[in-house]
Amino acid sequence: MSLEIAVHEPSCRGCELCIDVCPTKVFELDAEQRLCVVKHAEDCIACLSCAYICPSTAISHSGYHAVKNFYRDAEFCEKMGKFL
Amino acid sequence: METRSQRVALQDAMVFLGAIASGTEQAIGESANRISYLAGVNLGKRLSEGVPTTGDIEKALDATREVLLRNDYLWLFEAFKTHDQQATFQESEEGTQVMLVFRDCMIRQSLFRFGHAQKGSLCNMMYGFFAGALQNIMGRESSLEIVHAGENACYKKLVVRRAS
Ligand code: SF4
Ligand code: SF4
Repeated sequence: MSLEIAVHEPSCRGCELCIDVCPTKVFELDAEQRLCVVKHAEDCIACLSCAYICPSTAISHSGYHAVKNFYRDAEFCEKMGKFL
Repeated sequence: METRSQRVALQDAMVFLGAIASGTEQAIGESANRISYLAGVNLGKRLSEGVPTTGDIEKALDATREVLLRNDYLWLFEAFKTHDQQATFQESEEGTQVMLVFRDCMIRQSLFRFGHAQKGSLCNMMYGFFAGALQNIMGRESSLEIVHAGENACYKKLVVRRAS
């Protein structure tokens, strides 16, 4: 499944925080409607910073790799044991 | 049982490391970054010993990835190109530049455990690792700038400097 990103328009306040935080300039402001729109979804690296920063939790992603929380992942821990 | 105790030990060790790094940064400032950077350089050089040398940055990155995989370091990365970039590898006056995305990262996850900031001295260890490995594999200096430290991935700019 490939990465998809969506903005729930009724929730968006047009605060532009997502535009500021995104390192690859995925969003653009629709000045007329005062809301942000996804302009270049293909540039998204799935850092999820936009989703975390959005005060309206209006941004959602699907089809991305969720990073391993190493202290909860037994296989990952086993491998990292070698490092430590 | 062994996995559980290993996991607890690992969790404690990494969180402790995160706390130490954060405390050191507050105590000695910029020097903490330098110390971690040098530790990373040593690690990169040591682990890439014997890797065949190449002048091709793409092959050198593949070799670096191999080194990480072989040692079970889940610090994997991929080259990334945005829609407006002409090419993944770009030549500039500084040298060859490529953007890298880092996903699974034990440093990021341990920093988050107690809310320590990213882009600190532990993150500099990764910069050092690349500098050390690429010095061995390509015989060239490099820098790895953190463009964005995100919650689920980080975005970095690698510049491999021209051979002098
Ligand atoms: S951060 Fe959220 S509310 Fe603000 S512009 Fe972006 S989507 Fe809209
Ligand atoms: S996940 Fe990261 S790269 Fe993707 S749109 Fe959000 S801030 Fe930009």
